[in-house]
Amino acid sequence: METVLSIQKLTKNFGKLCAVNHLDLEVLRGQVFGLLGPNGSGKTTTLGMLMGVVNLTSGSFSWFGETATHHTRKKIGAVLEHPIFYPYLSGQKNLELNAMIKGADPKNIAKVLDTVELTARKDDKYRTYSLGMKQRLAIASALVSDPIILILDEPTNGLDPMGIAEIREIIKKIAAEGKTIILASHLLDEVQKVCTHFAVLKRGTLMHVGPVDDVGKGEEIVEVHAYHDDLGVLLQEFVGSASIKRESGLYQVMMKDGFHSKDLNHFLFDKGIVASHLATRKKSLEKQFLEILSDTSHKS
Amino acid sequence: MLHLLKIDLKKLTSYLTFWVICGLYFLTLGFTTASGMEILKWLASKGAEFGASININRIPLYHFPDIWQNLIWISGLFKIVLAVMVVISITNEYQYRTLRQNIIDGLSRGEFLKSKILTNVLLSLMSVAMILSIALITGSIYTPEVEWDFFFLGSEFFFAYFLEVFAFLSYALMLGVLVQRSGLTIVLLMLSNMIEAIIKLNIFRSGGEEQIGWLKQFFPLESITNLVPLPFARYAFQEIQDCVTFSAIAIAIIWAILFNYFSYLKLKKSDI
Ligand SMILES: Nc1ncnc2c1ncn2[C@@H]1O[C@H](COP(=O)(O)OP(=O)(O)O)[C@@H](O)[C@H]1O
Ligand SMILES: [Mg+2]
Repeated sequence: METVLSIQKLTKNFGKLCAVNHLDLEVLRGQVFGLLGPNGSGKTTTLGMLMGVVNLTSGSFSWFGETATHHTRKKIGAVLEHPIFYPYLSGQKNLELNAMIKGADPKNIAKVLDTVELTARKDDKYRTYSLGMKQRLAIASALVSDPIILILDEPTNGLDPMGIAEIREIIKKIAAEGKTIILASHLLDEVQKVCTHFAVLKRGTLMHVGPVDDVGKGEEIVEVHAYHDDLGVLLQEFVGSASIKRESGLYQVMMKDGFHSKDLNHFLFDKGIVASHLATRKKSLEKQFLEILSDTSHKS
Repeated sequence: MLHLLKIDLKKLTSYLTFWVICGLYFLTLGFTTASGMEILKWLASKGAEFGASININRIPLYHFPDIWQNLIWISGLFKIVLAVMVVISITNEYQYRTLRQNIIDGLSRGEFLKSKILTNVLLSLMSVAMILSIALITGSIYTPEVEWDFFFLGSEFFFAYFLEVFAFLSYALMLGVLVQRSGLTIVLLMLSNMIEAIIKLNIFRSGGEEQIGWLKQFFPLESITNLVPLPFARYAFQEIQDCVTFSAIAIAIIWAILFNYFSYLKLKKSDI
């Protein structure tokens, strides 16, 4: 697949603080790439360097295989950290200005306003918008030049659950159109729900990179419940169980490689027990994320 | 080029403050320069009450070719108002962080600065056009016998006036880029002349005047004021400099370039 973004040894120091440390990353066309990390891990700084607002300390990157200039940025739609607009201009006028700078066709404006459902409020001044509307206008401005790639930095930050759901729907809609997206977030389930690939940053260092689907591979957990007094003991006899935990009345069986819930069900059935509850849980990204982050704190 | 100017004008033309400040500037500039004779008449009538009599028609304030230098010198006093507008325009970009978004959207830092400089050029040209028309109209009214070559005698002053306004706006833009906060920048802008005067006072005190006094003309703000010399002393039978000197032009041009270059350096090297 075609490489959209390639980063080599990207580094940024703010005085003594190393905000981004020798970062290597590749983003391919069509990926929805999550940049995951706790607050202060260097996500915004990384994106700032990619978008020309933060000067690099060292390293390099290329967009679409070419060295980046301000012309390259016109082909990218990006919102870093907060929506930024002229408060005294209407949403419409703000987008007209974005389109002028990007050299985009002003005809796109109506379409992107529609995408983010702001058409009804387009002539109101930006400063009268709610936070959710501001975030949506920011997504509209990023889309106005019909970019190849979209960069969103914590797009649901500070929103209520409704607003969060709206934004995620919009992102999924855009991804379904085949656009490449880079999504920086400190929210694990956001990345899990929206992204195809993800990287984890910790204090500016890359900890992990890979597809979201791989998460939890070979780490199946089966939750079971049955009306049987010695269920815990019985489960230990099952050849496929690696370990067993009891949590809120349910047994959680960590499966060995190659064993699945079907096998466990079979085992119980042979023993004459009918499970009243049987569910497969893939290890969540959250657990893996916490593991990745704690792994290294042991080492350091 | 035109594209960059359009971008900056798009930001300003929907901004109420811009219209208010520019409106006030062009109105007060227009009224003050156009009504000098009325002011003189009023002064004369006051004087008459105290028994003094001045024949105001003997003062050729609005006669070609005196009118050029007279009106332009007066107009120069108003440029601070435009400079405040320039400061607001640039510091807003920092306060709203729109400078950052402009760069993200695909302007280079140089292009961003260019868009601001082009607006400064436009504002300077509009000031020139305004004074040119007022001088032509009032001059034709008040000058007893209009001769055509009087018109051309004024051209050097218009170039100097353009440079005076443009260099000062460049200075205001640079202050805005360096300080980034509107209130502080405006205070510094207002105090600039005084600060420069204090520095000069300390350098040239105690008799150094004769040996190094010629250095004064190289100071940035002095170089801007030096472009158009004060004309009115000529009506008290004193010699005045009634032309624009080449050296004054050269020094002011160099400062105008430096102001904008310093803005560029600052923009280039900072994280925004
Ligand atoms: N302009 C700056 N000057 C100094 N330190 C900064 C600056 N911007 C960010 N930092 C620091 O760099 C680190 C990474 O910040 P940031 O990239 O904003 O993290 P994230 O976006 O992952 O929350 C933080 O420790 C932050 O305090
Ligand atoms: Mg951030």
